Amino acid sequence: MQESLNQGNRPGAPIPAQRRGLKLSDILVTILVSLVLGVIYHFWSSVYKLFSPLFFQADELVYGMWFIAATLVFLLIRKPGVAVLAEVAAAHVEILFGSEWGIQLVLYSVLQGLGAELVFALFRYRKFSGSVAALAGVGASVGSLIPDIYYGYVADYSTWMLIAKYSMRAVSSALIAGYLAYALAKAVEATGVTSLLRPVAAKDYAALED
Amino acid sequence: MKKWLNPSFTTWMHRANPVLKLVLVILLFFVALFTHRLDFMFYQAVMFTLLLFWQSGYAFWKVLLIVLSFGLVFISSSSTMILFGKGDEMWWEWGLIRITEESFYRGIHIGFKSVTFASEGLLFVLTTSSVDLFYALMQKVKLPPKYAYSFMASIRLLPMVWEEFLIRRNALRIRGARSLKGPRGWFAGIKMYAVPLLSQSIRRAHRVAVAMEAKAFNGNGRRSYYYPSLFTRYDPLAAAVFAAAVVLALMLSDVFPLFHIADVRYSANP
Repeated sequence: MQESLNQGNRPGAPIPAQRRGLKLSDILVTILVSLVLGVIYHFWSSVYKLFSPLFFQADELVYGMWFIAATLVFLLIRKPGVAVLAEVAAAHVEILFGSEWGIQLVLYSVLQGLGAELVFALFRYRKFSGSVAALAGVGASVGSLIPDIYYGYVADYSTWMLIAKYSMRAVSSALIAGYLAYALAKAVEATGVTSLLRPVAAKDYAALED
Repeated sequence: MKKWLNPSFTTWMHRANPVLKLVLVILLFFVALFTHRLDFMFYQAVMFTLLLFWQSGYAFWKVLLIVLSFGLVFISSSSTMILFGKGDEMWWEWGLIRITEESFYRGIHIGFKSVTFASEGLLFVLTTSSVDLFYALMQKVKLPPKYAYSFMASIRLLPMVWEEFLIRRNALRIRGARSLKGPRGWFAGIKMYAVPLLSQSIRRAHRVAVAMEAKAFNGNGRRSYYYPSLFTRYDPLAAAVFAAAVVLALMLSDVFPLFHIADVRYSANP
């Protein structure tokens, strides 16, 4: 059944170069996984509220969870464009649930996804380490800062407040969207399921010849 | 439950094309985003909340429940700015908390802005089904069908993931799985659920994608659509309603200004 997708799977057969862009299977996997994460996003706001009584703005410490779709799905699929698509799809769950923030969150998610995508692009989509994912998480948090400047006038906070709030957000993004996503991606990879998404490439066969 | 969530009557907003509504709501977002005059912001919040009662298609008391929750939205979005915003005209100081006249008005401005966003977002979300939105996006803005159908298929697959989650939870309970304390234990706990659910989702999505490719859902050629998405006379009506709300808010803020603050930004008032 999978042969139709993984063209050139037969050893010895000429292996066509990987077509550019996302295939339907990439998109569907991205969106389904992101929707699942989006459901977690939805319920994460209660965790967020649990943290807020700890100390003022303590809720920023768990903010990074809202960027995990971008990094986790990219680490699994490893193709350009996946990070933005994942973040938007995860935000779409809020529209599905009829939340008042639905459209606003989708607009935010575009910037957050772009922030993460840009970091992966800077590494030419070839680095999949925990640190790169952490950087991408920070990129996503920068993306979330941009609309805040116009929406929440955060530049008019007292300076210490501004720095405290956004550095906590950046740290949590690096930890949750970065290292946690990396650890999860590795654990999922250990099940062997990602071989469906990244079928053996030409260079793998070339390595066999050596 | 299902019936409770359905709108009780159909309004112009329901009949307008989802793509047009999406564009209009995004435009309205930008109007609100770049509004720095407190009076205009206040009247926008009022107008769109009223519009929600008129156009959402839900019974008055249901909309009232939602609008009451806007109080919480108002408080949570305005409090940080009120307590920690920049300003010179000191009202109250206690430790790090400095409430100034400027920060107070900027805070309630953000509160009204959030209420405006919330009611504009709800106007869209409550009057548009996801399927209609994707069919309209495919036909009116040429979103490639592979994206739209992937979204719609994934939405159908979500309940299966939920079922799997319940099965996993019961299985772990029967096996007496207990997670350890501390960060290591948390991670083990997350992994116990995340790994099987994620890998199973990937497998299922991949299988469905193979079937969809076989049915040429990934094609880029011309295709017909089960639900044709059209522009009708309700589209100009919806646009007129939104435009009227903004214009009315602007006029009211000129005729009956409550706060007399031209710009709430700190940098704008040196």
